Amino acid sequence: MNRSARAITHVPLGKWLSIEMAVLLVLSLCWLQESRLAGYSALIGGLIFIIPNAYFAHRTYRYQGARRMHQAVSNMFRAASIKLALTAVFFAAVFTLMEPVHAPALLFTFAVMVLVGTALRWLIRPQPQR
Amino acid sequence: MEMVFIAAALIIGLGALGAGIGFGLLGGKLLESTARQPEMANQLQTKAFIMAGLLDAVPMIGVGIAMYLIFVVAG
Repeated sequence: MNRSARAITHVPLGKWLSIEMAVLLVLSLCWLQESRLAGYSALIGGLIFIIPNAYFAHRTYRYQGARRMHQAVSNMFRAASIKLALTAVFFAAVFTLMEPVHAPALLFTFAVMVLVGTALRWLIRPQPQR
Repeated sequence: MEMVFIAAALIIGLGALGAGIGFGLLGGKLLESTARQPEMANQLQTKAFIMAGLLDAVPMIGVGIAMYLIFVVAG
């Protein structure tokens, strides 16, 4: 029996990721009207949110059920710390390694994606399988 | 120039402090309520997960702005 079949709650990680990517693509195309630099800066700003967030969602639901709640909570703490650290590292890498960056596009897209990600979790909730 | 670094440190530090307090309360209440009603564990975990997303949002934006201050404004 594989991991997803054993899981008590089905986490719609694929659905979240695909919707987030679609929203990010639309935002990047909007910024592309301004300039090419703004377009790819917006794309990178969105990816800086999506990658750590996907890791967080994956890791939080590694343990499920009342018997494993202690492990689930400690995993959630670790995942949140790693998510914040990954975000800081990605931002630092982008600002140091990618020399021409359109900062308003990058930060605006990142902030919008944070709100979209939170709204998506609220709208498409993980469903119990039994 | 030093003020920029102090500002970035304050943004990251206060954001992390708020997130830490929030996650501590969230995790504590999740454990407490799961111990009271183990049959509700899955629903409680889902709700905690959604709340964790809300908790994380502001510190993450703060980290982005702080990195911008450190590497672009001061750099």
